[in-house]
Amino acid sequence: MSGVLTEADFEFELPAPRRDAPMPLSLRSVSKAWDKGRVPVLNRVDLDLGAGARVRIAGRNGVGKTTLMRIAAGLIDPDQGRVEVFGSSPIDRPEYYQRLVSFLPAGDRGLYARLSVRRQLDFCARIAMVPRRQVAARVEEAISIFDLGELADRRVDRMSMGQRQRLRIAMTFLPRPEVVLLDEPLTSLDGDGAELLYAAIERLLGDGGAMLWCSPAGEHTEYEFDRTLMLDQGKLVPA
Amino acid sequence: MTAFGENASAFFAVIRRDYYVFLSYRTRLVSQALTSVFSLTLFYYVSRLVHVEGFTTPDRYFGFVVVGIALIGVLYSCFSVSETIRQELVAGTFERLLLSPFGGVRGAVATAIFPLAYAFLMSSITLAVGALVFGLELHWSTVPLAVPALVLALLAFLPFGLFFTALTIATKQANVGASWIIALLSIVGGLYFPIALLPAWAQLASELQPFTPATELLRNLLVDAPMEHSVGGALAKIVGFAEILMPLSLYALYRAIRLGQRRGTIIEY
Repeated sequence: MSGVLTEADFEFELPAPRRDAPMPLSLRSVSKAWDKGRVPVLNRVDLDLGAGARVRIAGRNGVGKTTLMRIAAGLIDPDQGRVEVFGSSPIDRPEYYQRLVSFLPAGDRGLYARLSVRRQLDFCARIAMVPRRQVAARVEEAISIFDLGELADRRVDRMSMGQRQRLRIAMTFLPRPEVVLLDEPLTSLDGDGAELLYAAIERLLGDGGAMLWCSPAGEHTEYEFDRTLMLDQGKLVPA
Repeated sequence: MTAFGENASAFFAVIRRDYYVFLSYRTRLVSQALTSVFSLTLFYYVSRLVHVEGFTTPDRYFGFVVVGIALIGVLYSCFSVSETIRQELVAGTFERLLLSPFGGVRGAVATAIFPLAYAFLMSSITLAVGALVFGLELHWSTVPLAVPALVLALLAFLPFGLFFTALTIATKQANVGASWIIALLSIVGGLYFPIALLPAWAQLASELQPFTPATELLRNLLVDAPMEHSVGGALAKIVGFAEILMPLSLYALYRAIRLGQRRGTIIEY
């Protein structure tokens, strides 16, 4: 679960997030064009997510939702504009930024096919720099919260797509980020899996975190968002 | 825990990940050990068949070439990191490393450790089989010194793999030309035959990379082969190459990742 981060949580030299900064996640005038000289897929996009925000971005296939999420995650740079989490950008302070943000990419990639669920989670916790003495507890907590107990020692390549998605979601929440970016998180999930996801989001928001969700226009979800925005022709507009 | 402790934990997590993946392929160790035995058998009989200039007995040449066979595996393992990172790009797991506080550069360096450790194990097996089955005479009093010498040599070899990893991230093609470079290095590095047999221009090339002094030093420590240069001179060369190449290769890797992030091609594979 997310929580207000303190020096004790990090136990290293970087300062705690700037709680005086207005927004957990802030995108300012973000633009991105995949082909230079052509119409940008994102055109001076502004977006603020406050503490406890649950925002959905919808749009047609290929409209730029995933590009926006990848920029917010710090995976790729915008051509123009700035992304910040509590006042820090992924370019200036990548390690610090990645301690605060967790990204669930669309699809089923990002798993080691021949590692078991438990080893995958352990690996995820350690590269997320979870304090070593907390790793085992966090892994077991993730296994419990996302109902992965029966699968804990099963290799990923022997799991169904829905089970893999549940593992990917567990890996997203395990580091206890402040901001979670979910790109089409319902892919392959059954009803129970979706409920586990919603509960994890609620815990994050209850602790002051923020969540950005993106999915294709027309996707049905029972989850209630504060705001739903449409991405259309490079601009975010209210749905 | 300190930042150092967290970094060490992440570093070992990557090594452990590679170890578990390796274990999941149950026949790999046996098949690679057999490959090593076949190479030893081949060169054992070649050493009996052919008189190589500069070697007084077939056993001297066999000792020379066994160390070369042991080192070629280490050389290959240095270059294997770029292929592994290429697979990670395809699987989307490199993205996970990039989006972690541990980061892509440290992740790539950590990814190189298990293959190097495994190559070290295979080299030890090669030498042990050479000694036990083919009568290779190891120079036991200096064999322990070969371990730190090899670690030092790895610091000089690894940058080659990291340069290729940077190239792989930039071009999405694994090991472009790596097999040629490994073949070239095995020749000018004197892995299979003395560089004195090479033409003058090739002998000059043998001075421009760390494999020649490392091979010469390890041969001296393992099988008491005579050295053309002094031990101190060989060590100085290896340290010099490591000091220059390691920071350069890390910078190249960092720039390749940043270039991919700036252009958006880091997501491609």
